[in-house]
Amino acid sequence: MVQAINVSKIFGDVVAVADVSFSIGPGVTALLGPNGAGKSTLFRMLCGLTPPSRGQVAILGSDARHDREVRGRIGLVGQEEGLFDRLSARRFVEIAAATHGMVDPARVAAEVLAEVEIDPDDPKPVGAYSKGMRQRVKVATGLVNDPDVLVLDEPLAGLDPVQRRRMITLFHRLGDEGRCVLVSSHVLDEVARIGSRVLVIAQGRLTAAGDYRALRNMMDDRPHRIRLLVDNPRALAARLIAGGTAMAVRVEGESVVADTLDVDRFGRSVAPLARDAGVRLREVVPLDDDLESVFRYLVERR
Amino acid sequence: MTGVVVPRRERHPVGVVATFVITYRVFLRQIVTRSRLVALGVLGGLVILVGWAVGVSGPTTKHPEPLTRGVDLTINLGLTVVVPVVALVFAAGVLGDAREDGTLVYLWLRPLRRWPLALGAYFSALTVIAPLTIIPVVVSAALIDNSSDLVVAALLASAVAVVGYTGLFVLLGTLLRRSIVWGLAYIIIWEDIASGLGRVAARLSIRGYAGSVLTDQTGVVVDSFDLSRSWGIIVPLVVAVVAVALTSLRLDRVDVA
Amino acid sequence: MSDEAMIVDRGYRTYDGPRSGVVGAVRSVAWHSMRSVLGIGRPARHKILPVMAVLIAYLPALVFVGIAVLLPVDLVGKGVIPSYADYTGFIGLVIVLFCGLVAPEVLVGDRRNGMFGLYLSTPLRRDTYLVAKILAVMATLMMVTLGPPLLLLIAYTFEGSGPGGVGNWLVLLVRIVASGVVISAVFAVVSLAAASLTDRRAFASVGVILVLLGSNVVMGALIVKAGVSSTLGVLDLLGMPFELVQRIYGQPGGFPKMSVLLVAGANAAWATLGGVVIWYRYRRLAINP
Repeated sequence: MVQAINVSKIFGDVVAVADVSFSIGPGVTALLGPNGAGKSTLFRMLCGLTPPSRGQVAILGSDARHDREVRGRIGLVGQEEGLFDRLSARRFVEIAAATHGMVDPARVAAEVLAEVEIDPDDPKPVGAYSKGMRQRVKVATGLVNDPDVLVLDEPLAGLDPVQRRRMITLFHRLGDEGRCVLVSSHVLDEVARIGSRVLVIAQGRLTAAGDYRALRNMMDDRPHRIRLLVDNPRALAARLIAGGTAMAVRVEGESVVADTLDVDRFGRSVAPLARDAGVRLREVVPLDDDLESVFRYLVERR
Repeated sequence: MTGVVVPRRERHPVGVVATFVITYRVFLRQIVTRSRLVALGVLGGLVILVGWAVGVSGPTTKHPEPLTRGVDLTINLGLTVVVPVVALVFAAGVLGDAREDGTLVYLWLRPLRRWPLALGAYFSALTVIAPLTIIPVVVSAALIDNSSDLVVAALLASAVAVVGYTGLFVLLGTLLRRSIVWGLAYIIIWEDIASGLGRVAARLSIRGYAGSVLTDQTGVVVDSFDLSRSWGIIVPLVVAVVAVALTSLRLDRVDVA
Repeated sequence: MSDEAMIVDRGYRTYDGPRSGVVGAVRSVAWHSMRSVLGIGRPARHKILPVMAVLIAYLPALVFVGIAVLLPVDLVGKGVIPSYADYTGFIGLVIVLFCGLVAPEVLVGDRRNGMFGLYLSTPLRRDTYLVAKILAVMATLMMVTLGPPLLLLIAYTFEGSGPGGVGNWLVLLVRIVASGVVISAVFAVVSLAAASLTDRRAFASVGVILVLLGSNVVMGALIVKAGVSSTLGVLDLLGMPFELVQRIYGQPGGFPKMSVLLVAGANAAWATLGGVVIWYRYRRLAINP
């Protein structure tokens, strides 16, 4: 539903996005990258707000910059702070609905505001709203047209933990409905909850795309670290090293922390090894099978 | 692409008239701020005050006729300062401010045609600029010389100037980031200095045409404002139409924040 | 984990060289403000307007020098070419535009982007900060108020139509410098005062130009067309500095009924009022993070 083919964006001497290609379909996808990685620029190009310097972008098969019909099927929640500050939330969202040609904009506005838990009857102008409320109003404007593609740039910024959880639930629901939901963030644990499918961008380049657990398994040159809680850690540690199952072990109190390059073989052989050594295995926990590990590897090792 | 499972809300294509009405109302609401109205309203009040002072005073040696005094003041204060500056502040701000503060996206990334959007922006600016400029200029002229010639001339000339300047400055707001500063430079360097240099230059300035309407209608002779009234009215109108068309083309190419 | 902790020496050093104090701070703020106004060290689009304004200010001087070289007649004496006293008034609109460009750029940006608070964390206080800003605007304005007459003097001197005798030459030089400095100072304070009233650079520019141009046109209309007393010309914010220049050259100027003292007093009063407005705005101005 969203496609980028060899997309680059160059501002003067600065290469903001360099030769990025990907294609994503329905469901939630997270765009992950440190600040200044080029996430917002990439989103702006996808929605047609700025043309790529090189390459092509397509949403639903065409360029939103020049296809009026496609612009009506996109919802964008940008990072820019600007709202029509002097309007009430209901009026603001109503205008968004009217510009999309929705039948009965007032009803649509009330519905989407309820969805983001903003009182539609609040007469205050949005200029007087807190950052979190403004953020939710922006999300509401992105929803008015039942978008097939919803692009959200750092939508969780300024939200409290409860609102974040609700917002993430909303994204999942929209994704389950068959829409393509693309969410950017630079906060790792946020992304981990948004979805397992990620695009990782660093210094303008796409460094990885896919399920982050799968990505982790692809990093063969980096040992996986696993913690084993046992009743006799020294005995198991000796077996793991002797059998070549682990490349390094460390005993920490009741547990063994083992490093291995082949996590599948480790998983198959650890139970028989423990049985043979007469060691009772209580718990096996992968220590770095998380997004942060993937992110560190992709972004910081460059 | 997978099929969509939930029922979608009903919608219809947004027509040209609806686009115009929506953008006109949104922009009007955005550009009218109290501080701008007060500051530029005071300017208009000042113009009326000067007109009154000139009107109640007797003939001076340099300007014995009330009509020539009225024409002179309308050109020097109305067409040179009030109309271009007020038009600049509101017209350059319509799309320029929306671009700067990131609100343009709420009208840009929509299934709307660009030209009614540009037209909505133009007319929202015109709605504010016209009363703030034409009323003081006409009242001031009437206080100096209430002959119908001068009043009609002041009305026509300032209206023509408003129509032209508004078009130019709405376009300028989409072209340059610091549009108001550039517009001031244009008003001072081109409209004031260059158009004062000669007839040819005056024909390339809005002031030259508006001034010609004034002189042709009243019969007062002013150097370099020597065009016929019909040219004086037609050219600024054409400028406005071309400017709106270019604004609409520019909106298609603009980088939206 | 081991209990050992270590902080790697990344090479940060405290500065223990000489410090230039308030004077140094004023100098560097003034210098950086000037640089930013003229677009030095900024992308080309920031250079276009100031360069254009400066060029237009010098263009007549260059044309006049060219005429003086080509035609062996004393056109200055015959009033065909503006005299030294008339030159600044001749390029008056460009000076107005320059004030509208310079003052807002120097003052308003700092308030919007938080630099104002940062400056106050240096040896500068509010008063010394404002002094630095006034000096910056003055120095920048002198490029168009002092530069062109100086160019005329030097070119005429080499061409042979300059003032006769070293004494006369020096008197003229002093007059050129004095008028350049005085009108730059008055325009600097007045336009900074207008610019201090708003937080938006664009509206500050509009304000500066309206105050200078508006007072000029309105007073001109009242005096010439309504026949009010020409003493009301003291309210002409653009005309008064130019009138002072005329008086420095010993000319009667456009307000011959006004005494030199009144003209000088009007300029001093406007400069003082401008200073009071700026100080009033900045005295309690909140520092934004």
